[in-house]
Amino acid sequence: MPIPRKPDGSVVTTCAYCGVGCGFKAETLGGKVVRMIPWKEGKANHGHSCVKGRFAFDYYAHPDRVRTPLIRDHIDEPWRAVTWDEAIGHAATRLRDIQARHGTKSVGAVSSSRCTNEEIFLVQKFARVALRNNNIDNCSRICHSPTQFGLSATLGAGAASQHFDSVLQADVILVVGANPTEGHPVFGSMLKRRVREGARLIVLDPRRTETVNSPHCSADVHLALRPGTNVAVLDSIAHVVVREKLYREDFIRSRCHRDEFEQWAALVGDDRYSPEVVGPQARIDPEDIRRAARLYAAGPRSTIYYGLGVTEHSQGSTGVMCLGNLALACGMVGREGVGVNPLRGQGNVQGGSCLGSWPHMFSGYRFVTDPEVRSSFERAWDITLDAEPGLRLPNMFDAAVAGTFKGIYIQGEDPVQSDPNRDHIVAAMRAMECVILQDLFLTETANFAHVFLPGSSSLEKDGTFTNAERRVSRVRKIVEPLAGLADWEITVRLTNAMGYALHYDHPSEVMLEIARTSPAYRGMTYALIDRVGSVQWPCDENAPEGTEVLHTATFPRGKANFMLTEFVPTRERADDRFPLLLTTGRVLSQYNVGTQTRRTGNVAWYAEDLLEISAQDAAARGIVDGDPVAVSSRVGSTVLRARLSTRVSPGVVYTTFHFAQSKANAITTDLSDWATNCPEYKVTAVEVMRVTPSMTRAQPTPVAEAVEA
Amino acid sequence: MSDTPVIEVERLVAMANQIGDFFAPYPSAQRAEGIRNHLRHYWDPRMRAALLAHLDATGGADLAESVSIAARLLRDESRAGAKAYAGPPRAG
Amino acid sequence: MVWVELRALRDDIDLGTPPRDGAPVTLSIDGVDVTVPAGSSVMLAAATAGRPVPKLCATDTLAAFGSCRVCLVEIEGRNGCPASCTTPVEAGMRVHTRSERLDRIRKGVLELYLSDFPEEDLPGGWSEFHETLATVGVTSHPYGRGENHLAAPIDRSNPYFVFDPAKCIVCSRCVRACEEIQGTFALTIADRGFRSAVVASQGESFLASECVSCGACVQTCPSQALIEKSLFEGEYERAHPTQA
Repeated sequence: MPIPRKPDGSVVTTCAYCGVGCGFKAETLGGKVVRMIPWKEGKANHGHSCVKGRFAFDYYAHPDRVRTPLIRDHIDEPWRAVTWDEAIGHAATRLRDIQARHGTKSVGAVSSSRCTNEEIFLVQKFARVALRNNNIDNCSRICHSPTQFGLSATLGAGAASQHFDSVLQADVILVVGANPTEGHPVFGSMLKRRVREGARLIVLDPRRTETVNSPHCSADVHLALRPGTNVAVLDSIAHVVVREKLYREDFIRSRCHRDEFEQWAALVGDDRYSPEVVGPQARIDPEDIRRAARLYAAGPRSTIYYGLGVTEHSQGSTGVMCLGNLALACGMVGREGVGVNPLRGQGNVQGGSCLGSWPHMFSGYRFVTDPEVRSSFERAWDITLDAEPGLRLPNMFDAAVAGTFKGIYIQGEDPVQSDPNRDHIVAAMRAMECVILQDLFLTETANFAHVFLPGSSSLEKDGTFTNAERRVSRVRKIVEPLAGLADWEITVRLTNAMGYALHYDHPSEVMLEIARTSPAYRGMTYALIDRVGSVQWPCDENAPEGTEVLHTATFPRGKANFMLTEFVPTRERADDRFPLLLTTGRVLSQYNVGTQTRRTGNVAWYAEDLLEISAQDAAARGIVDGDPVAVSSRVGSTVLRARLSTRVSPGVVYTTFHFAQSKANAITTDLSDWATNCPEYKVTAVEVMRVTPSMTRAQPTPVAEAVEA
Repeated sequence: MSDTPVIEVERLVAMANQIGDFFAPYPSAQRAEGIRNHLRHYWDPRMRAALLAHLDATGGADLAESVSIAARLLRDESRAGAKAYAGPPRAG
Repeated sequence: MVWVELRALRDDIDLGTPPRDGAPVTLSIDGVDVTVPAGSSVMLAAATAGRPVPKLCATDTLAAFGSCRVCLVEIEGRNGCPASCTTPVEAGMRVHTRSERLDRIRKGVLELYLSDFPEEDLPGGWSEFHETLATVGVTSHPYGRGENHLAAPIDRSNPYFVFDPAKCIVCSRCVRACEEIQGTFALTIADRGFRSAVVASQGESFLASECVSCGACVQTCPSQALIEKSLFEGEYERAHPTQA
């Protein structure tokens, strides 16, 4: 067979993996997807791709895909295959019954950033109009909720200020707690391209990642800070900016509140944030802090890209505010080549934030406690809405453990694997009377579910994703949903079964409703996206084809705000019993909890979660490369294979959370961000001990999915 | 529905104290308003009620003073209509 | 600035060299006036004018390289046949993309490429190489079976694509894509002259190399020497028997 089969169909769509949101042409042959070709006109990727989006699409047709709805009365019973009508009816009956016995607020819902904007919008609408409460959250709770909080507080909009191409105009690139070459590879390639052209690179990361050093791209300054010291180090960079008067007086006067700047400058300018004080705390050279500050402030165009290394801390929101403050002080907002930009993990995390999947906010980032906003939705939906904030996802689990929360509708999330302090999550799951799970596969969470609604992959439905640069792109149906229904149709049916009549013929009608009810999406239509390829919000009468750079003339609140960012160390501390700090992340070839990528050829590169440990810490514990090791924290333990690595400094260990078997989240704690409850995945005090192979076998077999391809 | 707090009180106290820690560097009036605004507009009312009940029952010895002051402000009905905001706390 | 190079790319046309954003320059291609930004190549101007020049080593996502010698043109007032990909446009330039001489040269060059390409892979092929052969009208070559690469081992190590050196025309597009687009620098051309070959890292398999499997090399390969496994039923095998 030397001549390759030629595809006979091609449809432009958007990758569902990371927040870069690459445009792809899905090529088909005889109705099956045979390859994904990066779209040259994709404005996020310009024809480039990574191993996940380009090749790892086979999961969609994997034998493990659930093709029929399943129900059971108790989680110890086997699943029973049923019709859609029976499953939906059963789910609605159970939810109504729980509400009758335990109150309206005893149930909730969570939406998924792997689903489309339309689907996310419908799940939050389901919670508000069918459950009649605000117990609705989305998975950005556990990744970028501090971004929304911290950037709203400083710049006034909880989203990236730039577009990705803007990095090509930057002179100085500051990467904080992110590893774009693995987590956001296509953007990582663009960043490296700019560095090869001469841009200076500053990286704040406990690990010597590929972003720090790779062929023809190395950081001018790498601050390999101790996990948990972000805020101290960022305040110290600000200290240098203030003390050496590197700030932009004109920008501060015209664009910010001068008195707030004074207040902030007094705080960070204090001696306790001098590099000489913070350097030893963070185990970095004070001179490197000074170099980073001077480089960033000098610009002339300096930009910030950051990831979960900033947000997933007990001071996650404060860390984001530090970045906003720094950019404001140096006047690095509102032009090409500058800005503050979150790199978002999942394809539609920004959409998850935008579309009202919050217990305290409606779509368009407006508080549910605001009577005017609420009444506008009450008019649109013809129903009285709950006037009070609902429970956040971690609080739903807390409440389940406390016995006050009894049922949940989970759209495409796997909290048992992905959320911190696994034992706590499992206890919460077991305490609930009805867990309705909508997913592609029987995940870890499915072990605790009573109703399983088989969802559709992004190749099987129409909709839109909003990527990390606020870009709304079309997701187009390439093949029919394997189980018969697209996710949006499932939510619509469930809403109807709960007694609130809902009807849409196509997701484009949901987008019209989103546009009517969400200011930033006011001008967004499928016709517009089809015409111009993709559209960055805000899109309205002032910006009919969208907005690339935010804050050019004014901020959403007029002037921007400086926030006071005192460093408060996390309660999670290393001590004699748990002397190492564990931090977590991801690798290039795998994606989050791995439900998709573990079922593809990508396991050729990474087939298990490994524990990266320095040679010094390994030697002190008699560990050699490849040894199985027990990793224990104050909340639990797991066994991983050790990989000796020069990427981590002594005192720091690192692992990923891609594989269910490794239960990395058995050890992470339930400490969380002060403002948003975003979990502190990035700092866990642990001890690592070599275990003999027999001890490894003695570990209980995980209740994981049956097949690992 | 029983009197069971919606979430264990220890957890609520820890969360509230973290909020207090953030607002600590602000002048006292702004600090109190910042904490109040956060509790009012981000917390489920049952969580607020449980915190207040705890404050009444124990005097709030395990709560930061700023948090106790701010939590009491939640009772002031004249502020009930105050709009939520992101951004630095406003005084008064 | 890379900016325009990326933003002006279009899905339905390969301009041959990256778009530029200089001041407008007007020149004539086969008697048709065309205006393109200064800094553009003659190849880009020709493509814009609807007179695309046959090419192999050039594509608009990579900087011009000038190695394949297929894209030659004639420019009035200049000697010889410059490569259109590496020749910048000038105002008033008069370019000819077709002539008997150009046809002869292109045919000669393509016949040489073809002499070291598996002939079984010609009928029904749909790669850029096949299209270029068709455009220039080359279906066979006059050479006997000489030294060749037809027995070079296939690299099947990557889960998603194969590398068949027998079909490689050593245009370097994969190497350049790995460097310029992906920035990984995993590929290189080892050795020189007839022995030149694309290798990953220090001659390792693709899977064992630094290759991150982004697909940029597969995407840009004009001859399907790098090709997705998903386009084949069963394992990739050569049609021709392995020659000694």
